[in-house]
Amino acid sequence: MFKLLPYYFSLFFLLPGLFPVHAETAQGADRVKALLNEVDDLWRGQSSYAVTTMHVKTDHYERTMKMEGWSKGKEKTLFRIMQPLREKGTSTLKSDNHIYTYLPKTDRTIKLTSGMMMGSWMGSHLTNDDLVKEARLEEDYTAEISFEGVRDGQKIIEFTLIPKLDAAVVWGKLALTILADSHIPVVEYYYDEDMVLARTIRFSDIQLLGGRERPAVLTVVPADKPEEYTRFVYETLSLNVELKDSLFSLSSLKKR
Amino acid sequence: MNIFTLALRNVYRNRHRSLVTTLAMAFACTMMIVFAALMDGFAIGSERNVVSMNTGDIQIHLPGYRDDPDIYSLIDNADKLVAQFRADAFYATERLFAFGLMASDQSSSGVQLRGVDLDYEPTVTDIDQHIMTGEWLSADDQQGVVIGKKLSKLLDVGLGDELVFVGQTADGYMANDSFQIKGILKSVSATIDNAGVFMSNAMLRELITLPEGAHELVLMRTDRTGDLSLMTEQLKTSLGEDLEVMNWQQLMPIINRFLETAHIQTLIMMIFTYIAVASVVLNAMLMSVFERIHEFGIMKAIGVKPKQLVVLIYAEMLIQTFLAVLIALLAGSALSWYLQEHGLDMSSLADEISFAGIAFDPIWHAELTANAVLMPTLFLFVIAGIAVIYPAIKVAVIQPVDAIHHQ
Repeated sequence: MFKLLPYYFSLFFLLPGLFPVHAETAQGADRVKALLNEVDDLWRGQSSYAVTTMHVKTDHYERTMKMEGWSKGKEKTLFRIMQPLREKGTSTLKSDNHIYTYLPKTDRTIKLTSGMMMGSWMGSHLTNDDLVKEARLEEDYTAEISFEGVRDGQKIIEFTLIPKLDAAVVWGKLALTILADSHIPVVEYYYDEDMVLARTIRFSDIQLLGGRERPAVLTVVPADKPEEYTRFVYETLSLNVELKDSLFSLSSLKKR
Repeated sequence: MNIFTLALRNVYRNRHRSLVTTLAMAFACTMMIVFAALMDGFAIGSERNVVSMNTGDIQIHLPGYRDDPDIYSLIDNADKLVAQFRADAFYATERLFAFGLMASDQSSSGVQLRGVDLDYEPTVTDIDQHIMTGEWLSADDQQGVVIGKKLSKLLDVGLGDELVFVGQTADGYMANDSFQIKGILKSVSATIDNAGVFMSNAMLRELITLPEGAHELVLMRTDRTGDLSLMTEQLKTSLGEDLEVMNWQQLMPIINRFLETAHIQTLIMMIFTYIAVASVVLNAMLMSVFERIHEFGIMKAIGVKPKQLVVLIYAEMLIQTFLAVLIALLAGSALSWYLQEHGLDMSSLADEISFAGIAFDPIWHAELTANAVLMPTLFLFVIAGIAVIYPAIKVAVIQPVDAIHHQ
């Protein structure tokens, strides 16, 4: 499956849900599969380029960053920060399950160790692990429809996703809600291994992006600090752009 | 009748037996003095390691900081507090901590940045003298850091190499700067060895944008003979509930327990050793008594009281024990003093020994304390005294007529 860079985050959240698995009946299973495939189709593309703004609010600080990002296939991703000036040029490269960060201030490229994986990415509520893991989630969950009908005035379908026994996944359960008509995601709940809600991601501001209707805003809210959040706003998105493999190399990290 | 002269003559009568007994006691006592000195040396050395290298006498934090070291858990007015402590029977200093990633050319590792006050930290701890290679920090070097021994191996770096730090500032930005290794420390504690990077408070404040406050205040009593628990309680009362005050015994309970039991360990060792000695003494005295039953019978017949005979036996024992103790004091002190100055080199067993998070010097130094000398010698008297109870009773109950006929 090909994924899009900007929806990178959504993808690795959603993809676990986007893959077909059993339901009670053969017909049910087929339908789940079809629905999830459709949602997945929303993100399909061989490559992408996007410009996003990330706004982080915590108890101690509030800041905004603007960045551009490229993706090719599901293994290669590159982000580069455009604003603020203080961090302009800082880039993160994901290539084959390794993450590298380039820091223009010290002109150094650092490879992130496994110990740093659960650390926050760029001060947001997402972890470095979130960036790496997305590729594998699709094989790692079993899904079924847990609710279908009207909720909060919207017709929705809700999926419950349980990680497979051998999956190397940090979550205990995911609950994904999509709109019944357009199959656009609305909200996704992440539960830890003790089935306690750990974080919530909301999708909003449906707009025409890259030729299709998609949510332009993703808001990540940690369960233990609901006044904090990380919000991604997609400003531009282009799909299936021509991208060279050399863009996703350590040397290209350094270009400002 | 002069019992002492009589005892002396009796001891001398069977010189070889007396000598063997005396030497056995002397040997055991010497060994116990040396052992006690080593245990005391270990205890004192450990306390020195823990307290004067890193922990200090008393530490102050915000409640909850030690379990969850959040950079935002700062002690307000740390500088005022510290000035107050200095005016009041303590040496005091501020410390700041931050966590992040340190990268060298070859690899990277999670580290704990440890900000220290260059002026006051040396008054509280001796860490500035604990450098293995290189030098300690200096105020005019804004790029220099001192790192732990194992960290230098993990990152595969040495003196003069460059390290790049990546972390987060207090206002959410990326903290990123490069540093140069100025010194590498000897073993201190597990955390410091594996992840410790020392820099000045000024440097750390700038790196992570924390202009005020401190995470930890460390105090050392100017007069260390006072009651630490009492002082801790007094400080706690005067500072109130908003700050957590703990002394090193509370902060490192395992080490504290270990030190408390060191005395018990010496005692147990002594009991076992001395039981062996006691059997030697008992055997010798019993033989000597049995040989002289005829003689004792005659003495009793001419009017010597049982009590006097018991005293005689004890006098004989005491003479030998005194001699043994004299020898043991000389030999034991000499050996212990040697081990105090030069130590026992354990490095063939382990390059560095780590216990309960503390690093120990592989050279084990003894400490010739009054306790190390007195305990074994006094105990020897007690054990010998108990050992001859049976022979003494035997002598006391002798019936003169039977004894005279005994042969």
